[in-house]
Amino acid sequence: MSRLSVVHLLHANAVSFSSVLQIGDSQHIRLSGRALAVQRQLEYVDSREFPLAFPIFTKPIPTPPIDTEPLCHHTLHDCPLIAVHSMRIIGVSSTSVVHIGSTKTVEANSRVKHIRQLEGGKSYARSRRSD
Amino acid sequence: MNMTVVNHHLSVGHIAIGGVASASLVLVGDSETIQLASAFDTPPESLIIGPFPPKQNNKKNEEKQ
Repeated sequence: MSRLSVVHLLHANAVSFSSVLQIGDSQHIRLSGRALAVQRQLEYVDSREFPLAFPIFTKPIPTPPIDTEPLCHHTLHDCPLIAVHSMRIIGVSSTSVVHIGSTKTVEANSRVKHIRQLEGGKSYARSRRSD
Repeated sequence: MNMTVVNHHLSVGHIAIGGVASASLVLVGDSETIQLASAFDTPPESLIIGPFPPKQNNKKNEEKQ
């Protein structure tokens, strides 16, 4: 028995890279994202040069231990309603979910590796620019 | 352990979100279990200072230099 979610106005500007904007209930949500972010001083792109074989993409992410104590859990919905007047979301990206409604289980994992490559033989104080 | 949750009236005016990214979740509703894990890697050895392959220099790079 779950509550009813009421959102009067939802404005999402951009939903990209395998993201989901779900209106309605669901049972299971499983999200998995892997990203390799390469930043270079010079513009050079070769998608084959870095295979996704770095340790961060393979080693397990430790999860918190589960408490084994038995739990007797009761939920009373005095008011079975979640009311939101308005939501404004600029961006949803990289395997994320905006979910209006109820769900049962959510499992998500994300792995991001950054690589930066600079030109050799230069002083980097001048080149530390955001662009 | 005994646990009782009483959900009273819940009303929210406005939610403004800049970005939701990297297997994240925004949930307006109920859920039984949520497990989110994230790994982000920017080690010092991922900074490469090395030669680039020969390429045509465009005007943008010349302006930067």
